[in-house]
Amino acid sequence: MLHPPTLTHWLALSALLFSIGLYGIFTRRNAVGILLSIELMLNSAVLNLVIFNRFVASGDVDGQVMALFVIAVAAAEAVVALAIFVSFYRHRHTLDVTEANQICHPGNSTP
Amino acid sequence: MHDGAISTVFFYLFAASSIALALGVVLGRRLLRSAICLIGVLGSSAGLTLVLGFEFVAGIQVLVFIGGIVVMLLFAIMMTSQGHTFEQQPTLRRRVAGATVAAAFFTVTLSAYLNADFPVPTAEQLAVSHEGADEIGRKLLSNQGDGYIVPFEVISLLLLSALIGGIVIARKHAPEDEESDQDQGLANHPSDVGR
Amino acid sequence: MTGFIFENAWLIPAMPLIAILLIAVLARGENRGLAGMIGSAAIGVAFLMTCWLGVSYLRLADQGAAAVTWSIEWLRYQDHLVVSLGTLIDPISLLLLVVVTSVSLLVHVYSLGYMAGDEGFSRYYVFLSLFTFSMLGLVLAPNLVQMYVFWELVGVSSFLLIGFYYTLPEAIAASKKAFIVTRFADLFFLAGILVLGFYVHQLVVAGGSAASVVGAATTQTQALDFATINADSVLLALKGQTGIFGTDLLTVAMLLVFVGAAGKSAMFPLHVWLPDAMAGPTPVSALIHAATMVVAGVYLVARMFPGFAASEDALRVVAAVGSFTCLFAAVIACTQTDIKRVLAFSTLSQIGYMMLALGVASAEHPAGFGASMFHLYTHAFFKALLFLGAGSVIHAVGSNEVTEMGGLRKKMPWTHATFLTATLAIAGVPPLAGFFSKDEILGAAWDGHHALIFGVGVFVASLTAFYMFRLYILTFLGGCRSAEAERAHESPPVMTIPLVVLGVMSLCGGWIGVSHFVLPGVELHAHLAVMGISVAAAAVGIGAAFWMYGGQTNRAETIARSLGGVYRLVKHKFYIDEIYLFLTHMIFRFIAAPAAWFDRHVVDGAMNLSAAVVHRFAAGMNVFQTGQVQTYGIWMINGTILVMVFLWLVQR
Repeated sequence: MLHPPTLTHWLALSALLFSIGLYGIFTRRNAVGILLSIELMLNSAVLNLVIFNRFVASGDVDGQVMALFVIAVAAAEAVVALAIFVSFYRHRHTLDVTEANQICHPGNSTP
Repeated sequence: MHDGAISTVFFYLFAASSIALALGVVLGRRLLRSAICLIGVLGSSAGLTLVLGFEFVAGIQVLVFIGGIVVMLLFAIMMTSQGHTFEQQPTLRRRVAGATVAAAFFTVTLSAYLNADFPVPTAEQLAVSHEGADEIGRKLLSNQGDGYIVPFEVISLLLLSALIGGIVIARKHAPEDEESDQDQGLANHPSDVGR
Repeated sequence: MTGFIFENAWLIPAMPLIAILLIAVLARGENRGLAGMIGSAAIGVAFLMTCWLGVSYLRLADQGAAAVTWSIEWLRYQDHLVVSLGTLIDPISLLLLVVVTSVSLLVHVYSLGYMAGDEGFSRYYVFLSLFTFSMLGLVLAPNLVQMYVFWELVGVSSFLLIGFYYTLPEAIAASKKAFIVTRFADLFFLAGILVLGFYVHQLVVAGGSAASVVGAATTQTQALDFATINADSVLLALKGQTGIFGTDLLTVAMLLVFVGAAGKSAMFPLHVWLPDAMAGPTPVSALIHAATMVVAGVYLVARMFPGFAASEDALRVVAAVGSFTCLFAAVIACTQTDIKRVLAFSTLSQIGYMMLALGVASAEHPAGFGASMFHLYTHAFFKALLFLGAGSVIHAVGSNEVTEMGGLRKKMPWTHATFLTATLAIAGVPPLAGFFSKDEILGAAWDGHHALIFGVGVFVASLTAFYMFRLYILTFLGGCRSAEAERAHESPPVMTIPLVVLGVMSLCGGWIGVSHFVLPGVELHAHLAVMGISVAAAAVGIGAAFWMYGGQTNRAETIARSLGGVYRLVKHKFYIDEIYLFLTHMIFRFIAAPAAWFDRHVVDGAMNLSAAVVHRFAAGMNVFQTGQVQTYGIWMINGTILVMVFLWLVQR
């Protein structure tokens, strides 16, 4: 039947989730979409921490503590990012990040 | 819940659902739908954490990630974009590049995992129960060498400053502020430059 | 040597420094009249302190004692190679202190009248105080480096004061000329310092715990101190080493130092800057270019006299250069018509006299050394007086040309009387100051059996009397030759009082036995024969001057015409300036111009090329700067992956 999951299975799963998040960051055009992908990646990081806590340092709770920290930081990051998006949207009436290329060379502003 | 056939079944179940839903998050063209998919991914992750035997962390994931962050993201989506409009398709070049990079990253990471020699857990180590939250609490607030009291306090400061910063950035400008902004000229108004 | 003023001799140079700060703070705009008061008061205090120091020295110290009474460590390179800042009190530094502070005080007071109403009144006093500070620091220097630092500082203040009227092109040119010529000479001085510092330090360190070579060397023995350099054992050791061109090291070092001294003292062939330096205000010429700074070279040679004496060749060079300059400048002075230029050439001639005196001295017969210091001292007073008197005349007439003066005797009685005193003094008429010092120099030359130098000395004494009386007659006697001279009137008391004080000093200064003070224990004897010769020479010169210029005859022009080409040669100062100009043009055309071309085309070209390459490259890289954060992200992750793979490969 199904092979019981080993450490490698778990890690492969979290790496796959992380890579999917990475793809999302690079391809989403909406800023909130990018933020969703980032949350996905943070989630995979949390998963990684608890996986290692389970399989490598099962006597300690440090991995869980770090996971809690990651969640807290993710919350803070989401707050600030959303504030920036709201501000950005109010000025531009769009959240398309390909439009946000003000820092590039003037002669080079192809979207 | 960390052993036995049931947990194996649950692992594959949650793994499959989280991967599928994650693909839904990044590939879907409707933001609202993506957000709903994200809720599913996070829920599956909480389930996976539960499979590992960490009930407390799983609970926090559901409460904070789904209940806090994703709900906030939904608010943002509703405030900023019209949920019914399609997001524009990224260019093909961008999609190919993104897929290549993501695949390469996955390959490298996985090969690193496969080549690393992690200590193999013994059966009795795996049998240790992590069901109590009291130890996590003690660890968080301990001021011993292995305690996390300082990061804990720093995180609280971070959250507070993020809160204040969010308000400052996102609040609507009062009319008198608008005037003073105009006095300061266009340089302070990137929006005006862009328009 | 103990006592408050010995240990705090640094207060003397500190006074003008404080004056600079006070003038800078207080004497601005409307208050600029205050500058003169502050400057004069500060230098007055410095003069009183010098007097106190002198009296304490005479009462408390042994005769001829020398001691560094105050010192702070400044730069420590190694043991025995420490540069310190200190005050060296000995007879010659004390003598110079008295000369500098007294002449400077009188010039400060005189300038109150002379510079009154000038736009740059406070600037003038700042420069003057800066000069006084630097000169006092130079005089008190106990080591070569401190002396060099202040040596350059007097050079800078001289530069500033020559170019004081910075709207006049000739003043700017003169200041640049003075600076460049003296700087050029100072380069050799610096080389001399480095040579001495290196080898003396080697001797002190390597000399078998220093004792065998330097005698009683202690941890306090510093390679650059005059005390160490002038030690007999060090000089002998230096003389034992080979230098360049078949000379010994000591001679090389001393000659290098002498080039610096010659530049500052305007010895031939580095004399060209001094006549031009007369473009500065006349009191400045009196202070810097007659009494104090230009004798710094003589002072330097006197400071290092044991070295020059030990290396006899170097001393011979000093004597030769001194005598030649002395004669050369005196000849030119006979033909000049600009009152300040005559005095400038006279200064050159007299400094040559001092160098000559140093050159005929030796370790066994140091009479010339004392005579040189004596002449330095008397010359400072009568030459400052001559310049200040000339300044008074220029102030009244508004011109430097003696051809536009004449007949001022009645109109400016005080100026006339004091100028006449100084003229008699410089001509060597007994019992005025110049007679005694000049007589000692000639006596020293006679004793040293330097027949040629003695002959030159006597001839120059006669020439000096001639050109000085020529100047006197043309300026003060006869009839007025211009409308300005008709209208001339006596200067205000603030200008005449310093003249009178200097007049008294010129009259009585020679009665003080400076030589005995400088050279205690050395028996000095007067030569009646030499005295007679010198008085006769002066009388001949004076007689010739009256014969040529006294009456209403035109004998002078007749003689000038009969001399023809020779006269023109002398009148144009032997065309030395023109030779320098030609050489400078050669340097410009064949060295500077190719260097400039190389710089512009090769060096700059290489720079421009590299800039252009970078610019092209940047323009190429610009394509990647899309402003799309996602693109940047992709590249970042790409890079990270590459680094990971690379590290992984390397690790295996």
